[in-house]
Amino acid sequence: MTLIIRPDSWNLPLLLHVGGAMALVASVTVAAVALIQGWRTSDASSAALKRFGARTLLYAAIPSYFVMRIAAQWILSKEHLENSNAAWIGDGFLAADFGALLLLIATIVANVAVRRDPDAGLGKLAKVGASLSVVLIALYVFAVWAMTTKPA
Amino acid sequence: MGYSTLLFLHVTSAFTMVTAAGLFLAIALAQRSARHSATALRLAPVAGILWPVGGLLVIVFGVWLALHDSQYSLGDGWIIAAIVLWVIGSAIGGRLGAGYRKMASSGAAPDPAALALNLALVVTVLVILIDMIYKPGAS
Repeated sequence: MTLIIRPDSWNLPLLLHVGGAMALVASVTVAAVALIQGWRTSDASSAALKRFGARTLLYAAIPSYFVMRIAAQWILSKEHLENSNAAWIGDGFLAADFGALLLLIATIVANVAVRRDPDAGLGKLAKVGASLSVVLIALYVFAVWAMTTKPA
Repeated sequence: MGYSTLLFLHVTSAFTMVTAAGLFLAIALAQRSARHSATALRLAPVAGILWPVGGLLVIVFGVWLALHDSQYSLGDGWIIAAIVLWVIGSAIGGRLGAGYRKMASSGAAPDPAALALNLALVVTVLVILIDMIYKPGAS
């Protein structure tokens, strides 16, 4: 197989896109682990884990999402693929845009749960946030598969 | 295994490694506050699994990719640089993981160098990513 070396001008947007995606996956995973650990325990640390997970979604995952998504649009325009019907681009949009909705809901419900009852365990709202974080991780694995294998 | 599958496995392993680095960093930042230090150690077991698994698989699939494709060679400067950086990152991550495990299991005192080591790990991972994207010297 012969690979085509991409033009140098594509490197920066690609770096920001991949770097943003890595930061996004890492921060959603940190939040998911914290929220699930809080779910599994009934001691006082449950409230702290809930707060930690909710804040991680708000202050790390959301900014990382913007870096990933804006850089995705930048690299797409560099490659002149804005109007492409390629399946892998559609998959990428699905993961990014549907994922944004899930990320937004997860962040809102987890932070509302912290605000409503800062000293209690997870509760229903934060459990929804934890579950959505796990769904997001699965969605991101699908996105990595689509971006690397570029299915026809 | 085809090129695309190897690339998917290599990149997924890299994401796993970066996720573990994120967990290490989250623990280190939480350690700065006495209120959160014990809580943050709950993240240590997951980081302790993700780091070695991601680290091992990323190098296995990375070397496999280099051998699989005739355009790449293990002697290319950017690949040698990536391997050297991977060794440095593995050493730092290994020390951090072991330290956090010890703290979680026996209540050992935090490593005073943990925050500096975390920053070094973030820089190492970032330089590896830049090297992988820009591939300096590749023709």
